[in-house]
Amino acid sequence: MERNKTCNRKKIMVFFVCVLMAALVLFGRLVYLMVFRSGYYSALAQNLQQRERDIKAARGKIIDANGVVLAANRSVCTISVIHSQMEDPEAVIAMLSSELDIPEETVRKRVEKVSSIERIKSNVDKETGDKILAYGYAGVKVDEDYKRTYPFDSLASKVLGFTGGDNQGIIGLEVVYDKYLQGTNGKILTYTDAQGREVPNAREERIEPVSGNNLQLSLDSNIQMFCTQAAEKAYLQKEADGVSVIVMNPKNGEMYAMADYPEFQLNDPFSLPEEYAQYAGTAQETEYQNRMWRNWCVSDTYEPGSIFKIITTAAALEEDLVELNETFHCPGYIMVEDRRIRCHKTAGHGTETFVEGLQNSCNPVFINVGLRIGAERYYEYFKKFGLLSKTGIDLPGEAGTIMHNKDDIGLVELATISFGQSFQITPVQLATAVSSLINGGTRVTPHFGRAIVDDDGNVVKKLEYPETEGICSAETSATLRTLLESVVSEGGGNKAYIEGFEIGGKTATSQTLPRSANKYISSFLGFAPADDPQVLVLVIIRNPQGVYYGGTIAAPVAKEIFENILPYLDK
Amino acid sequence: MAEKRERKAKPTAYFDYNLVFILIFLICFGLLMLYSSSSYIAAKEHEDGMYYLKRQIRALLIGLVPLVFLARVDYRVWKKFGGLAYFAAFVLCAVTLIPQVGKSSHGQSRWLMLGSMSFQPSEFAKIAVILFLAVVIDKIPKQMDKVINVIKVLLLLVPLVGVIAYANLSTAIIVLGIAVCMLFVASPKYKPFVVVGAIGVVFIVLFIMLAGYRMGRIETWLHPETAGWDGYQTMQGLYAIGSGGLFGKGLGASLQKMGHVPELQNDMIFTIICEELGLFGAVCVILLYLLIIWRMMVIANNARDLFGAMLVVGIMAHISIQVLLNIAVVTNTIPNTGVTLPFISYGGTSILFLMSEMGLVLSVSRGIRLEEI
Repeated sequence: MERNKTCNRKKIMVFFVCVLMAALVLFGRLVYLMVFRSGYYSALAQNLQQRERDIKAARGKIIDANGVVLAANRSVCTISVIHSQMEDPEAVIAMLSSELDIPEETVRKRVEKVSSIERIKSNVDKETGDKILAYGYAGVKVDEDYKRTYPFDSLASKVLGFTGGDNQGIIGLEVVYDKYLQGTNGKILTYTDAQGREVPNAREERIEPVSGNNLQLSLDSNIQMFCTQAAEKAYLQKEADGVSVIVMNPKNGEMYAMADYPEFQLNDPFSLPEEYAQYAGTAQETEYQNRMWRNWCVSDTYEPGSIFKIITTAAALEEDLVELNETFHCPGYIMVEDRRIRCHKTAGHGTETFVEGLQNSCNPVFINVGLRIGAERYYEYFKKFGLLSKTGIDLPGEAGTIMHNKDDIGLVELATISFGQSFQITPVQLATAVSSLINGGTRVTPHFGRAIVDDDGNVVKKLEYPETEGICSAETSATLRTLLESVVSEGGGNKAYIEGFEIGGKTATSQTLPRSANKYISSFLGFAPADDPQVLVLVIIRNPQGVYYGGTIAAPVAKEIFENILPYLDK
Repeated sequence: MAEKRERKAKPTAYFDYNLVFILIFLICFGLLMLYSSSSYIAAKEHEDGMYYLKRQIRALLIGLVPLVFLARVDYRVWKKFGGLAYFAAFVLCAVTLIPQVGKSSHGQSRWLMLGSMSFQPSEFAKIAVILFLAVVIDKIPKQMDKVINVIKVLLLLVPLVGVIAYANLSTAIIVLGIAVCMLFVASPKYKPFVVVGAIGVVFIVLFIMLAGYRMGRIETWLHPETAGWDGYQTMQGLYAIGSGGLFGKGLGASLQKMGHVPELQNDMIFTIICEELGLFGAVCVILLYLLIIWRMMVIANNARDLFGAMLVVGIMAHISIQVLLNIAVVTNTIPNTGVTLPFISYGGTSILFLMSEMGLVLSVSRGIRLEEI
């Protein structure tokens, strides 16, 4: 018995030690799980327990130079369903599909999807949202949200742009200033039990949303309206493909207006206009939508034509290659190498001074001057005047200049460049380049955004744009202004002449490629007052029917705009 | 209390107060954790946050009766009832297999209804086996030297274990484990047990390597993340344990108890302890159990006779196996099997028999002569 006892005691001890060792192994396992894997499992658990709901931040407003609101927000609702809380899915499906006007199958797919929260539709009117809420179905969530709304609908549509369902800018200024406008969404983090019910009295983390800041523009809704009306009128009268108008301050690059008729409706940006309506729902829908949204002033290039003679004149004056009263002879054409380049007046202008040549927009005169400058120097001036780079305007999708390689510019090319052919620039580039030459020689950056302001009107951030001084001398600039004033008062731009105002300007008529299509672009660039330009207007009519001379059809449009805005700007 | 004071007056009398106090502490802690972990579910399912707590307290109060009774009665009385206990356990377990009698839970029938109370015969089977084996070993201590006799004794248990295993595999494993532990202590041999243990380990490893992928349970054990619904309980438990960290989220602050962890008042209660009290709390719980086992070892070593020693060893084995298995399961150290955590998990029958077992241990402790220590 005693032998047994000792042996048993030893065995009991062995058993206890085994238990102890097993406990030690489990302790090790616990340390591994609770110390080294703690982060991993905590994150997974939190993922499971937390439901996150966004509180939308209000997007900043876009306001014009006078404080008129161009883009604002309207309260709308986002409807979502929480699968685990749903008590009567069939009723919910029926109710949602009838209230929201979505096919039942689409709703069913989302309702029956096992997820913590599934969005059914956003941008639902507040009244509809309230109605859905009033049904009181379990598992249906209605979250307040904001929808972008544009009080003037189509006014400056291609400039302002619009936003998508997630409150992000899609085109225009809405894209460029997205980060200022967007604000920061808030969050509600709620803890839920296994059935997805929110745990009462549990910690609820709430992060308040921060509204976006407002964007103050230099764009003036009144000027924009004048321009849009003038463009519409020309568009209808001339049965044109499009009419673009740019109004800017040549001194600092501020844009007062940019119209590109036809515009589109910002409050319904995805609906195609009547003429393209047949493409709705087809594969080409996106293509036609993009066409509708495209801002020709910024995203397309064209041959500027005779307006570009301003640049040739500036280069020649800078290089002192021409005297204003120097005489030229125009027989109606000029031979460059083996090419016979015609003047628009086939009979020829005869003997004329350089000033008269500009007033007459005589091609042989400018070919002569261009050849004097030479390819290399002309190319350098292209660069110096900023024509080879983009303008840096605060709009997306700016197109670059299409220009010959420096080494490929022969005499023929040089000759055509001199009167604005054989290369392409954007309208906004042309307006900016001329602005910079007539403002005393400071290359400006065209822009719409003036400042980022808060709701109380305090400036959060003043928007600054680069300027390059001295691209031409002050004398050249002054001479140019005088010359261009004479074009309007005595020369080809006389249709833009307004009694009592000194307006400088230049007309252009360019033929689009292919030349055989006989399509023209008529344009006029004007500025006032001529001795100290405060405003520059560029009018471009694309493919007008009937008379297509810029001096005949584009200048009167510019005149109408000047008549409206000059007294307005004086105030 | 009068009884205890009387005993104390005698210099040679012994009563293990250490064990009593550790037990009281563990039970109170268990009630606290049961309330904390089950209140949310209880409020949802029974409209009473204290539903499980109340029933557990009732079971504990009922359990006090056999505890006090067994502690006061000389344990040697029970020598006569070894065979009867075995027979009763066999009958009761067999009866639960009859569909009309047994109450089904989790697809396995293991309950008997006694009036309004449900009763788990398999819990009774554990204490019955302990008593039965203690009696057998006490009668033939010398024969335990021979391996063949050890095997014979083990064979005696086959009918009961078979009946239990039919309805509830994990309880059968526990009963078998208790029997092996008792025989290990009773036999002076090491080698056969080491050999059997080694063969067992090799067999299990081979089984997992060769056929494991076919067994859903093994697959779930190895990759609970990808096992879908089968791995749900394990993963939820791991989320709770892992999110506890060093010191836990604080008492009552568990989020996994909001219905994420199934069976949290039963098998999975340790996961909520981990989540709320952290590694620190978990280690404290393990230490409490080790203290109880250590006290039982002291009592077994100093028991007046072999029968008393074997009784305590059986109970010690019972509690050790359940604690180790439960923690191993919830930490996914071994494949999932339903084992409750003694004194803490919710369960009336389990509490009743655990209290009875502690009564037996205290009774054995009273038989100790101090001069023998």
